[in-house]
Amino acid sequence: MSQHQGNDKNNRKPNQVGDNMSPTSRRFSIGNWFSSNKGSRPGGILFLLAALTGLLMSIPVFYVVWRSLFAGTDRWMRLLDSRIPQLIWNTISLTVMVTLFAVSIGVLLAWIVNRTSLPGRKMWQWLLALPLVIPPYVGAVTYIIVFGPRGWLWREWRESEWLLTTFGEYPINVYSFWGIFFILTLFTYPYVFLIASASLRKMNRNYEEVARSQGMTTSQIFWKVNIPFLRPAIGAGAILIALYVLSDFGAIAMMRYTTFTAAIYYQMGSYDNVSATVLSVVLIALTLIILWIESRTKKKQSYYQTSNTFKEPDILPLGKWKWPSFLFVCITFFFAIVLPIIVLVYWSFLGLQAGALDSRFWGYAWNSVKVSGMAALICMLLALPVVYLRSRYPSRVSAIIEKLSYAGYALPGVIVALGIIFIFNQYIPVLYNTFYLVAIAFVIRFLPQAMQSTDASLSLISPRIDEAARSLGQPPWKVMITVIIPSILPGILAGGALVFVSSIKELPATLLLRPPGFDTLAVRIWVETSEAIYYMAAPAALLIVIVSIIPLRYLLKKY
Amino acid sequence: MNKYLKALLFSLLALSLFVVAACGSDSEPAEETSDSEPVEETSEETGEEATAEETGELVVYSSRNENFVNALLEKFTKDTGIEVKPLHAGDNAVSRIKGEASNVQADVFISNDIGALENLRLEGLLEESSPEGIESIDEQYRADDNSWFALSARTRVLMYNKDLITEEEMPKSIKELTDPKWEGDFAITRGGNGGMIGHVSALRNEWGDEKTKEWIQDVKDNAGAILEGHGDIRRAVGAGEFTFGLVNNYYYHQQLQEPTDNNVGVIYPDQGEDEMGAVVNAAGVGLVKDAPNSQSAQVFLDWILQPENQREFSYESLEVPINPEIEAVEGAASISDYKTHDMPLSELGEVWEDTRELIEQAGLDLDL
Repeated sequence: MSQHQGNDKNNRKPNQVGDNMSPTSRRFSIGNWFSSNKGSRPGGILFLLAALTGLLMSIPVFYVVWRSLFAGTDRWMRLLDSRIPQLIWNTISLTVMVTLFAVSIGVLLAWIVNRTSLPGRKMWQWLLALPLVIPPYVGAVTYIIVFGPRGWLWREWRESEWLLTTFGEYPINVYSFWGIFFILTLFTYPYVFLIASASLRKMNRNYEEVARSQGMTTSQIFWKVNIPFLRPAIGAGAILIALYVLSDFGAIAMMRYTTFTAAIYYQMGSYDNVSATVLSVVLIALTLIILWIESRTKKKQSYYQTSNTFKEPDILPLGKWKWPSFLFVCITFFFAIVLPIIVLVYWSFLGLQAGALDSRFWGYAWNSVKVSGMAALICMLLALPVVYLRSRYPSRVSAIIEKLSYAGYALPGVIVALGIIFIFNQYIPVLYNTFYLVAIAFVIRFLPQAMQSTDASLSLISPRIDEAARSLGQPPWKVMITVIIPSILPGILAGGALVFVSSIKELPATLLLRPPGFDTLAVRIWVETSEAIYYMAAPAALLIVIVSIIPLRYLLKKY
Repeated sequence: MNKYLKALLFSLLALSLFVVAACGSDSEPAEETSDSEPVEETSEETGEEATAEETGELVVYSSRNENFVNALLEKFTKDTGIEVKPLHAGDNAVSRIKGEASNVQADVFISNDIGALENLRLEGLLEESSPEGIESIDEQYRADDNSWFALSARTRVLMYNKDLITEEEMPKSIKELTDPKWEGDFAITRGGNGGMIGHVSALRNEWGDEKTKEWIQDVKDNAGAILEGHGDIRRAVGAGEFTFGLVNNYYYHQQLQEPTDNNVGVIYPDQGEDEMGAVVNAAGVGLVKDAPNSQSAQVFLDWILQPENQREFSYESLEVPINPEIEAVEGAASISDYKTHDMPLSELGEVWEDTRELIEQAGLDLDL
């Protein structure tokens, strides 16, 4: 009985939320609504937990959209007239350029490293993925220190007659479109690099041999054989990067560029939350358009490889291209890893001498760990029911629950924070201005990371194992605790680690939701950088980079 | 090994139980919000926290640079044993206090600007008080009901880089900033900066709205850069990125103390016989209405008015104490040395919102 009720209630809920609100929800409810449970019904508690999780994850986002409806035509018109066109141009031009270049660099590097006789190619395979450990806003700090106005290079330039006479005035302005474009490209290309590397390694040599026997040159093969096969990898990488650019706040604000995300943050700063909701809706629409484009192009093209005659891809000799390629790889590596790390270590050293590592610093570090650890724990717990439901009782309902859980993941942290502020300030004031809010924001933002990791482990456990355990007379919850959880524990913990690291790095939601007297490492980096006190920012940044190394092994294995 | 894992997992579960409990409580009302009706129903919860008495805790919202405030707050904790939770929210502090009007979080607001304090008072968000020693502050520099009082003064000045320009060449009045001669040479802050708003309010008082609006438009186009805060300007001018910048006078004193890039000078504008005089603003403290830790707030107000703490308030920032009996920090100019604009500071509050609107209309973005 209770099971039935639970089912009914939740069948209705997401649909109801979706109907009157947003383009987001329309996406979720396209297609006919049926549940193909095929006899086996999920337990009531399991279903309830999963459905509640899905709902909770999406409520802040829906609430923002809902509130924007009450912004009034005046405000909409004013914003549409004045700010939105410029913001759309800023945002789209940056997104397109960064995606284009990051994908090109990523694919090219992946191809060079995996398929050619580059010196030290095994080593480069993981060296080039290393920029993943540097959050873009930390990268931005280092580039401001080196290339910014009054930075190292500027001072060198001023001292040096030679540079002044040959090149004239100091030409670099990091606070520009090209500055932020450079930073974001440099610190996001590894996503494409990793995904493309994995595809390239799996690529069957037979196709290339056929092409070669037809007289195609290496570059023709690259464009006509390799690139089409890489298409899914490129698409996946591109969408990751585009969504990242849309949602990034830290690097963009530090480089004094304004996209939607930054504009929403500033609007909230002046407590014009209603205008912020309007901007958020436009940003959500942009995000959905990107997701839609990706799904469209994916459908149009499909390329299949046969696996039964698989042959390891061969290694192409580079010949005269050997040293140019090597130089390219080295330069990328230098700018993406070597330079930032040197700068961070040097300034951390200065900070150390100035006594930056005082009890306050460790207080900030503890705050970071506390709130991120809490988020990681909650994510590990919440991910399991959703993933289990989706994997063991696949139906349209469970698919929707899963999609709802992704709502906060696809969207920028500022929108999630905006929704949370609205809801808690009005309806749950007891929790408002406590650090739980920050943890809740992290959960909403990063739960899918835990879900993906848990899902990867769960998919290796046959449902027959559950059934066998059930047939021995064990109730479902006991099967879950004694059989399923122990066998997928590594996956769950890996997911928790991912959430933990993402949370430590998170900036905008932390800035907006932190209670008085609760600063984290990420917040300190932001504050000290805006005051140009870099020796105080560097130790915190270095610590975050070191912590980020934890899930790297997992990420490298995943792709 | 399996046992070990299980134990670990169990402890994780146990740990997170209380978190789930916390989350569970939010699930209900949060769910309802999507239905849009039960607004009234849930709003009863609002008052719950406000009844607490002595809490040993003080929540301070501050719109000042945190380096100016932290030492002061630490001294307060040391003297009284009350733990301070500061939120350094910059110019957002005012809007945050307004947004939290029905769910008050802050006890005391340390404002970089008197206009913001008076504005909050006019909206009924500050509470009257009569702290000990309030008479030491001239009536001109506190609210009628003493809900706020100023502690340190500062003046709007033009700070210039002596490597790039001499004192004679510098513009001597604010109006000259619209001169195409200076195009690209100077920096100003964004329109939402408290100092900028106060300055524009004074110009409106002197010139009227139309002329002020024109001035903003021209200056905005003429400026070489519009930066986030005055700290950016002082560093940029000090390093020679711009010839001069419109800042508060203590930024000039701060730049003088830098180990490098400190060859800077200062112009107090509009000093001529029939000119308006330099625009003055002040920083101060306000008592937030329905403060959750009202007793601690009272202790704080009494404490800050003690002479040594008044001095401390302006010490870090190199501002001038409002109380003439307090000796200024060495190097800071005294307020009696130059001609100042005669608008009473409390008037800033009434025109605060209008001025923001005017600035925005003139095309100078409040935020970058």
